Amino acid sequence: MTTVYSIDRVAMPPAPKQFADDTAELHFVPAPCQVACPIGTDAPSYIAHIWDGEIEKAFEAITATNPFSSICGRVCDAPCEPACRRVDSDGAIAIRNLKRYVMDKLGTSHQLPVKEVTRSETIAIVGGGPAGLTAAHDLAEAGFAVHVYEQSDRLGGMMAWGIPAFRLPQNVIQEDIDRMLDHCPGISVHTNTGLGSGISLDELKKRHDVVLITIGAWIGKTMPLKGSNGSDAIDGVGFLREVNGGARPEMPETVVVVGGGDVAMDACRAALRLPGCKKVKVLYRRGPDEMPARLDELEGAIKEGIEIVYNTQPVAISPAGDGYNLTCIQTELGAPDEDGRRRPVDVAGSEHDIPCGKVILAVGQKAECSELDGHKLMEWDRVHTEWESMRTEDPQVFAAGDGAFGGSTIVMAMQHGHRAAYYINAHLDAVDAPMPYRTPFRTRAVKIADDAQWEVFNRHEQDFHGVGAEPVKFPEIETTYTDEEARKEAARCYRCDAETGSTDYSVRNREDIFVMARTNKNDVKTQQAIFRHRLENRDNPFGENRPADLQDLVFLPANLSRLVIDPYRDACSVNTTFCSSIELEGPFMVTGFDAAPEQVTMALDEGLRQQGAAYLGARQPADGVSWVQFIENTTESASNRADAIVYAVGKEDFAKLDLPEDDRPKGLAVTADTVSEAVPFALENGFHFLLTLANGRMGSAESELSGAPDLTVLRDVMRTMRAMNREEDLDIIYFGGLRTGTDAAKLIGLGANVMVLGTAMGLALGGQIDGATLSYDASLSGEERIDRTKSLLRGLTTEASIMARCTGKTNIHNIEPEDLRSITLMTAEASGIPLAGAVKK
Amino acid sequence: MAKIDLARLSVTEANKLIRKYGAEGENVDVLNPDAKHHIGVGLVHPINVRVHGSAGYFCAGLSDGARFEVENNVGWGLADNMLTGSIVVRGNAGAIAAVAIRGAEVIVHGNIGSRAGQVMKEGTLLCAGNANFMAGYMMYGGRIVILGQSGEKVGQDMTGGTLYVAGKVNSLGTDAKQIDLESDEDDEIREMLERYQIPFNGSFQKIVNAGEKLHYSRNEPRSRSQSFFMASGTSDYWNAKVQTDIDIKAQIGRYRIRGYGATRALPHLADLAFRKDLSQIPADGEVTKKIDLKTEIGARNGAEPIKLSMPVMIAPMSYGALSKSAKLALARASALSGISENTGEGGMMDEQREAADQLIYQCLSGRLGWNIHDMQRANGLEIYISQGAKPGLGGQLMAKKVTEEIARIRGIPAGIDLRSPSRHPDVLGADDLVIKVEEFREATGHRIPVSVKLGAGRVRDDIKIAFKDGFDFVELDGLQGSTGAAGNEVLEYVGIPTLSAIQEAMDALGEVGGVEEMPVVLMGGIKDGLDAAKAIALGAHAVAFGTAAIIAGGCIACLQCHVGQCVVGIATQDPEHEKRYQTNVEAENIHRFLEGVRWQLATIAVAHGYDDIHQLDRNDLVALTPEAAAITGLPYEPGYRDTKPQATRKAS
Repeated sequence: MTTVYSIDRVAMPPAPKQFADDTAELHFVPAPCQVACPIGTDAPSYIAHIWDGEIEKAFEAITATNPFSSICGRVCDAPCEPACRRVDSDGAIAIRNLKRYVMDKLGTSHQLPVKEVTRSETIAIVGGGPAGLTAAHDLAEAGFAVHVYEQSDRLGGMMAWGIPAFRLPQNVIQEDIDRMLDHCPGISVHTNTGLGSGISLDELKKRHDVVLITIGAWIGKTMPLKGSNGSDAIDGVGFLREVNGGARPEMPETVVVVGGGDVAMDACRAALRLPGCKKVKVLYRRGPDEMPARLDELEGAIKEGIEIVYNTQPVAISPAGDGYNLTCIQTELGAPDEDGRRRPVDVAGSEHDIPCGKVILAVGQKAECSELDGHKLMEWDRVHTEWESMRTEDPQVFAAGDGAFGGSTIVMAMQHGHRAAYYINAHLDAVDAPMPYRTPFRTRAVKIADDAQWEVFNRHEQDFHGVGAEPVKFPEIETTYTDEEARKEAARCYRCDAETGSTDYSVRNREDIFVMARTNKNDVKTQQAIFRHRLENRDNPFGENRPADLQDLVFLPANLSRLVIDPYRDACSVNTTFCSSIELEGPFMVTGFDAAPEQVTMALDEGLRQQGAAYLGARQPADGVSWVQFIENTTESASNRADAIVYAVGKEDFAKLDLPEDDRPKGLAVTADTVSEAVPFALENGFHFLLTLANGRMGSAESELSGAPDLTVLRDVMRTMRAMNREEDLDIIYFGGLRTGTDAAKLIGLGANVMVLGTAMGLALGGQIDGATLSYDASLSGEERIDRTKSLLRGLTTEASIMARCTGKTNIHNIEPEDLRSITLMTAEASGIPLAGAVKK
Repeated sequence: MAKIDLARLSVTEANKLIRKYGAEGENVDVLNPDAKHHIGVGLVHPINVRVHGSAGYFCAGLSDGARFEVENNVGWGLADNMLTGSIVVRGNAGAIAAVAIRGAEVIVHGNIGSRAGQVMKEGTLLCAGNANFMAGYMMYGGRIVILGQSGEKVGQDMTGGTLYVAGKVNSLGTDAKQIDLESDEDDEIREMLERYQIPFNGSFQKIVNAGEKLHYSRNEPRSRSQSFFMASGTSDYWNAKVQTDIDIKAQIGRYRIRGYGATRALPHLADLAFRKDLSQIPADGEVTKKIDLKTEIGARNGAEPIKLSMPVMIAPMSYGALSKSAKLALARASALSGISENTGEGGMMDEQREAADQLIYQCLSGRLGWNIHDMQRANGLEIYISQGAKPGLGGQLMAKKVTEEIARIRGIPAGIDLRSPSRHPDVLGADDLVIKVEEFREATGHRIPVSVKLGAGRVRDDIKIAFKDGFDFVELDGLQGSTGAAGNEVLEYVGIPTLSAIQEAMDALGEVGGVEEMPVVLMGGIKDGLDAAKAIALGAHAVAFGTAAIIAGGCIACLQCHVGQCVVGIATQDPEHEKRYQTNVEAENIHRFLEGVRWQLATIAVAHGYDDIHQLDRNDLVALTPEAAAITGLPYEPGYRDTKPQATRKAS
């Protein structure tokens, strides 16, 4: 089985094609919690959906591989939680209780789509516990008619008969079973039909194409106790079966439970709630760290007043008064046994007596079935089954679950069910050598919960009620979260599955580092697997033809070979004088609000006025704002209010332009198509500036939404002017795709004097990108819009000036092409800026 | 009283003698000083030293406890970083008198040059004459007393401390203000003037920090880093990341701050592949024994080199940016793996010194935590010029992380948004740097290597200067280097990629014949032994791991280092968060990571048939992208991209 740091995780074996598995995605490595889950539950996604309030999506993620989600929300042993990376910080995410939170909300109301029977073959499943029903579910989903034969009067197996109602109420079990049967009408249930007692294996084989044996391990094991008559110590699973059947037998005052697993925990807590019982002791032969019971079961038992006696095991029993004297011996931990746990060794001379009224043995379970014995399908106390195929000796008979592989957990039984269904399906599809099964891992790629306090919130434990006011009625011990508690708990998730945006430290790279950090240097096999994984080269991050992009330019900082200034402190002038006449407080103009709602333009103009920026457009801005009038039509004339005028007409109309005879700066718009004509024309006809339109057009904020700007326009304008030796004769306004102050600083380096903000300002003013347009709503007040206008201008100006200072400049307009490098070839080509590192002598 | 004649001895010999007499408790007369630099540097004993004449740069610098007297004038950097003790100068002092002092008394009878008391932390500078411009520039504490005129911009960008000016205040600096004087302050000054027998009848004006620039005016709204992974390339131009960015700037009116390094895709060592097919190498448990990875670095000028068991270092990271627990885990891991640890900006902790075997001690412009004692117990000294994450900018530590303890070790006021100076007070150009390096060597008896940390910019030019200035080695940090806090735009767009940096560095060293002479340690986005081997093949002598080591030690890369409430207890000074970090467990994790790197390095070298890792050669590599080919000049061979695993991947 794949574990959190195993080789399998580094070199994940391929999943069968039909599986919903995303491990081949470059940007996905399943989180430790998901890997720890035997059925691969996409916990990070459902947790994130809880935070988002998308409870139905959380429900989908939870139930996708788990037909017993409501049950698991309460009683899963939750191997995900100890695997959670936050466990070492301030406690694992309460993954199980978050599941319960969702299921308590939607478990009874939310249904799954119906899967009809489409196949002619039928399958018999013997035993309606978690393994059998999970297989039934998968096979029914695959279109088969499935018949479940259950010896008792109800479905659920150990879930129904082994877990007392104070942990798992009967209606919760029913909720999952009802949902499954509604979802899979192809499942027929035959209760009170035991194998052998109700129906024979031969009959099943005759009626059905395949038989799956999931009979569980129903028989409690015993232990040798000197002096025992065989009936003075009862078995734990039998006791729980009786109680779960509704009985509430009278208990003696003191009950002793022997064992340290989940059955022992359930038995001791059930006994405590029964009439007459005052004291329950649990004897366990190892220490607390070795105890197999889930920690919170143990803690719950202790909270309820149960005494746990460690390093003690009974050796003899004798009647004493109304009850017994249980003779026990102390143990200590010796050498590890074959399963790696240290074997308890008796301490000589430590015998002592524990008086009690009843002894319950919870020391393991086994399977028994005389019908299968008769067919020679049993091997000792298990159905003889091959793990690699889930087959028994009989080619028509498969087996899974506790009955085949020994007592385990609900979620492991479900994994067996999925596994068995996979091999049965392959068998019925006549696939001779199916790919080895592995748990599939899916992601729903949910956005990370964005709560500023996620680092601070501690694990919130669900409310614990203990035995309650009327213990004998077995009221539930715990309640789940409120909405707010659930959301806070969900916010805590590290999201080990998710990219945080760093290319270098992608999930894949981080996880490899994590595995390296947890692999012994002498574990050569794993070292090799990691090495091979690291040898996988990434794809070309830029593709072969990534278009040129402003973000693919970088600045060269001043270090040793240029005088360093202190960007935090030293002044860097950002004042911008445009065409020797218009004074701006930063290198920005704004455009695109000719047709915007009045609330927006009023706030914008006030912000521009206060922040000393100009407006460029056809619309006349409010008083106090410099205006560069934008004229697209040769018949249109310049307004007297305009501080400068720019003409954006086709090159065929250049000659028709009739410039007003005054001192105001006049400009000509340039596009990729017009560079070669427009630049000489402007130089020779008294223009003062050029407006380079890198997106081809302007007039609205939306024209930038068409995509990345074409950097060649500015490059060619500068080259043309340089070729004519008149580089300084025209000021340059740049428009197109400006997103940050850094972009502005780069454009200055490329030759621009003033940058025009369109879409960026629209977004700052609350605009929402809606297809090819920006739309505004009333969510911002006028004051907020004014403030946001100023803040954006100030923010971008600071960014631009920080860039200038990093290059050692005390005036942003001193940034030169030599301060820049490209990081892609396409950008190097389009901008004329060489690739970093590629410049040779 | 011993006599030392500088007409007959070199300064190095003289300083050696002065230290010897100091240890013996004998006072010293220095004759014929001839305005030589570095007189008395590195002295840590409380003796009297009298200089009969004028001294040059850094007189009494990097010292603790001695009492100096200079009969005439001194050059710049008087009493640089002097801890305790005193110096009396009868004549004038040059620029940056009392720079970075941490308790000493510096008395100048004449005038003082510009930027006096720059970044001083504690102690007194007393000038009986006039000061030049920017006295008290960026001072963090202590007091400056000027009996004459203040000079222009007095108290410029001061953070703490006090200036007392008796003469004319020519002009106040940025973020300085004039306030009233308390009578006991006046008494203390007069007591001192009397002690040094300086007659004075006037009155003082008091200048302190105005508190306008110690904090960012608006807090950035807190948000978790979202996975805008594909934003830097294939998604729409106005993608969600861009929109969020604009929205936040429209609220705060300034650049955004975060932790980590450049997040977008950049040309990287990952875009190179080995020609040799390494995927089929059998697992070899003995491979690390088949090759000697031992690497020494720093002996260029005869110092005791730093000894590494493999060509790997821990990159400089500060106590401050990181918790003490995290720094100790790095120190322990470095010792376990036989490599070096580096203090970064925040000074040296005793526990760190003890835990690390080889420890490099970094000197930054603010001289935070810098002192002679820690210099003398370091294995390497490093002058920080810049770093890959934010070249051109000083360190940045947000207020939440500037706790009392951090402030104490750094010698600054607690609770400020610390933005360290971006240039050294005493290094304005390459020539100053030579004299500065010489001061370090003098102070430590030429025993300890001196390196320079360079963020990658104009690497070709910068590396030649580093070579000419005689550094023992260079730590070269590319654009992919990370940090605890920096402006997002600087992280993404200032500097050149690590791959470009090493190429330019080797080209430049090739041009000046320095390839063999001055080793380059490359860092910035190096994640494993494969990256390291490629860097070495391209010419790096060693590499350093920063972020990768942090991740090995439990970092989850949430990029929220600047906030100061790190969820795993690494980038925090909050005890509630720091206690989440298990130093011993994470030290072992980092150690195992480093051993994994060792296994990978050895495997690659052995597979190539080499017996020395430095035999790896650029011709062992090919470029997988046109960019990587253009940068390195290696052949563009996309066919070497391992196609097998890629084929199973879905398009993303």
